Amino acid sequence: MKKIDFMLLRMIKNSKSQFIAILVIIVTGIVVFTSMNMTSINMQNTVDDYYEENRFPHLFIQAEAFPAQQINRAALHPDVEQVMGRIHTDGRLITEDHNQRVNLQILSMNASDPLSWPTLLEGRLLQSPREVLVVEQFAKARNIRSQDELEIQINGVVYSMEVAGIIANPEHIYLVESAQSLLPDNENFGVLYVEHLFAQRVTGLAGNYNELLVSYQPDTDEDLLVDRLKDQFRPFGVTQVVTRETHLSNAVIDLELENLQLMANSIPILFLLVAGLILMMMLGRMVKRDRMKIGILKAIGYSNRAVLMHYVKYALAAGLLGGALGSVLGMALAGAMTRLYLDFFHIPMLTMNFYYSYIFIAMLLSATICILSGLLGARGVMKIAPADAMGSEIPKGGKRIFLENLTHFWKHLSFSQKLAIKNLFRNKKRSLFVLAGISLTFGMMTFTNSMTSVMDDMMVKHFTEFQTMGYNISLRQPVEKHALYDLPHIIEVDEMEGRLEVPFTLSNGHREASAVIIGLDPNSRFIHLKDPESLPLKVPTEGILLSQNMARLLDVDTGDWVEIQHYLPGRQNEMVQVAGQVKQTLGMNGYMDLDYMGALLFEKGLVNGVYLDSEDPFIQQKLFKASNISSVMSSKDSQAVYQEYMTMTYLSIAFMVLFSGVLGFAIVYNATMVNLSSRELEFSSLRVMGFTRKEIFQLILKENNILLGAGILLGIPVGRWFSYYSSEAFTTDIYHLDLSPTLNAYVLATIYTILFILLAQLATYRKIQKLDFLKALKSRES
Amino acid sequence: MAILSTQNLSKSYQMGEVEVKALVDTTFQVEKGEFVVILGPSGSGKSTLLNLIGGMDTPTGGQVFLRDEEITAYNERELTAYRRNKVGFVFQFYNIMANLTARENVELATEISHDPLDIDQVLEAVDLSQRQDHFPSQLSGGEQQRVSIARAVAKNPEILLCDEPTGALDYTTGISILSLLKRVNREMGKTLLVITHNGDIARIADRVIKMRSGQIIEDILEKNPRNVEDIKW
Repeated sequence: MKKIDFMLLRMIKNSKSQFIAILVIIVTGIVVFTSMNMTSINMQNTVDDYYEENRFPHLFIQAEAFPAQQINRAALHPDVEQVMGRIHTDGRLITEDHNQRVNLQILSMNASDPLSWPTLLEGRLLQSPREVLVVEQFAKARNIRSQDELEIQINGVVYSMEVAGIIANPEHIYLVESAQSLLPDNENFGVLYVEHLFAQRVTGLAGNYNELLVSYQPDTDEDLLVDRLKDQFRPFGVTQVVTRETHLSNAVIDLELENLQLMANSIPILFLLVAGLILMMMLGRMVKRDRMKIGILKAIGYSNRAVLMHYVKYALAAGLLGGALGSVLGMALAGAMTRLYLDFFHIPMLTMNFYYSYIFIAMLLSATICILSGLLGARGVMKIAPADAMGSEIPKGGKRIFLENLTHFWKHLSFSQKLAIKNLFRNKKRSLFVLAGISLTFGMMTFTNSMTSVMDDMMVKHFTEFQTMGYNISLRQPVEKHALYDLPHIIEVDEMEGRLEVPFTLSNGHREASAVIIGLDPNSRFIHLKDPESLPLKVPTEGILLSQNMARLLDVDTGDWVEIQHYLPGRQNEMVQVAGQVKQTLGMNGYMDLDYMGALLFEKGLVNGVYLDSEDPFIQQKLFKASNISSVMSSKDSQAVYQEYMTMTYLSIAFMVLFSGVLGFAIVYNATMVNLSSRELEFSSLRVMGFTRKEIFQLILKENNILLGAGILLGIPVGRWFSYYSSEAFTTDIYHLDLSPTLNAYVLATIYTILFILLAQLATYRKIQKLDFLKALKSRES
Repeated sequence: MAILSTQNLSKSYQMGEVEVKALVDTTFQVEKGEFVVILGPSGSGKSTLLNLIGGMDTPTGGQVFLRDEEITAYNERELTAYRRNKVGFVFQFYNIMANLTARENVELATEISHDPLDIDQVLEAVDLSQRQDHFPSQLSGGEQQRVSIARAVAKNPEILLCDEPTGALDYTTGISILSLLKRVNREMGKTLLVITHNGDIARIADRVIKMRSGQIIEDILEKNPRNVEDIKW
């Protein structure tokens, strides 16, 4: 090994704490890069393979009922690969606790079906009409095993069924009852499969189906095929068309993988850039400190390039070591992360590959950023003339800072405050770097902490401010509004109002969106609509209000017209004017006056559900036998599911806080270390003058605290930008995220930022204790 | 033919509004194998002269020649090669690398030169064989200066430029360093230029160039230079 490289190794050894701090940032960035990218690819491949192997359909078309012959007709459309029909209905599981409502989605299947194959996890497939297959998540949550007996109520009739097996199916990777539920509640909602014939019989649809499953060839024009199929099935009352893109389970997986990819490519860059900046700052200081060493190297014949490379190699060493360590750790983590995801999403298979190219990409990325930082940081080497380097450095000319001109402000500062401020202006670049680092940390902390408020907004506010009913009861068949007056005879009702909730497809030209339109009492006590400016809004007597995300999707504004495509056979599509927009975080809906909607789309005075408040503790039990009730959703239960979910969210938020904190810590620690090393002579002089080590630490503390205060202030817009950017990135058709930071988020971000920065400063205090100031005084260098 | 010569060599600096003339029209010649002392008080321009001769600085006027090669016409790359192969430096404050051992400091120089001497022999010559694995902080001032000399000599340069080599040392150590330099001159045949403000040291030189205010005021050829052991200060 060349001696100059020996020097490099010892240089690393002598600055090991700073080197390690940089290494930690690089390793963290590369771990995230490798693990998330590999997890993302492995997940995508696994999902693709799962879809392929289990013949996950491309289209699901639900209708009132259609004869089996229509399936053969559908198969004749160009590009269609496979088609099948099935029954899709609701039911409920009878449990010992009669006050517990367990909703079921019941789907029909046969072993010879060409699409939507189950993966058998336990037991066997269906062999008789009185058998069911249970989807894994539900079976696990309710401890259901094969050969168990289940009592299932379908259309008011209770059937005793035997569990033939436990299955997984790509349709139910993310198991939720509807887009409105958003979060899985595996104990209270499940999917069961029964034989086609049995399903047709119990739903009164003998010889008919109510859902068509379609797979098509690659490069098919999906819109065209959907139009053709809709035309074919229109006479049979198309209620909903679900493409893979709009399939809830697939959409959630897609979004999750998209977010994973987004994080995999943004977080590492942020970390590597910070590492690069720290390296630049450190090397800049090293070159200054090593001025004489550089002079000697040049004097004995080392070229500018050789000396520059000596310092660049320091950065490169950090880059390569960090890249290698990070990739290895990332690879190891990728396996665990993929399994965690698969477990969370209940995917019964794994397509796992190690993409060694990511090691190469990670090393290249990390090395490139470090080399650039090295070149920029150590470029001062080129300017050092050997002759000048031999003598002592000419002190920089001192000058007043602009704050001194503000005499009134300046004279009120103590001497040490003035000193601290002057020092900050002495090395503006470093001060700016620390300032940027603290702002970044605070911004990330704000954004992270606002996630909790957002979840509150999305769920708690949704259930306490947006919709305040205790229960939302859905009816199987629409009834006249006055029929609801029977309800208080069955259960105790404090307040109630009828409503219509019907899924429709709305369109504006070629833009389409499927969503539930809600018909509301104009003076609704349960749904509190607000406009985008958060001002109260009433449903108009005519026209439709659209949630903001829906208006955006359809590209319509107030005053524009949208078409409501009717699913009932023989009914005309209706044009309706957009009367305004509704601020809504969860779900995508249209809102109309109850009577107006009834008259326009069905019959005046019809309702298909009821919102109500009730203190009745046995509401589920009492409604148990009411055959026209399809579901009873309790706001309290939904909130309980949310609370359970939040514990998981808090964990990931804690992880993010730690992430941002490490970044802030590393920036401030390294900057302070560079600061200390560059002012060794100055601090030594102060020591000779009688300053204690503690007083010198306080001086640095004061400087850093000014930056901390300013950094937090500057971090506010940074946090707002992060939040705005993330709101845009995370908003989907299903939910709209408004991540605007709350006061609470700011307070928490301030506390965490101060905590991490304080920790960084305490770490430097140990260094101050160890510094030999008197030795520094003897040195000719400063 | 002189191994080294200067022709009207000048260097001036701008300090604020004042132009400082560090070196004014300096012309002299050094023959191969000579032990030359450049003598002068502080600020007389001797260090500037050494830096220009060593290719560490560029003049504002005049030329420096190594035999018939004009060093002052060299570009940055040629100057680096010149410093690497033709000249060796010894500094007042040794300027050796704190994080390399004595031997490694010497190797640092030999690794980049074309025709280096054997390191063991050089370390033996400067009496550092026993201390070669010590770091500078474990060596005395005299020993550190020996490392510095060994580093300069080991590259096998034609000329050795020494800037106040005994300036930071006590008398006894200073004498031993001068003896060493004299041996390098006599036994290894190296041309030596030593800068000093100490008139007694000048007595061991073959040629003494006296300087004041950036100019040569005397260029004396000593016919009978003293032995190092005979001088005192």
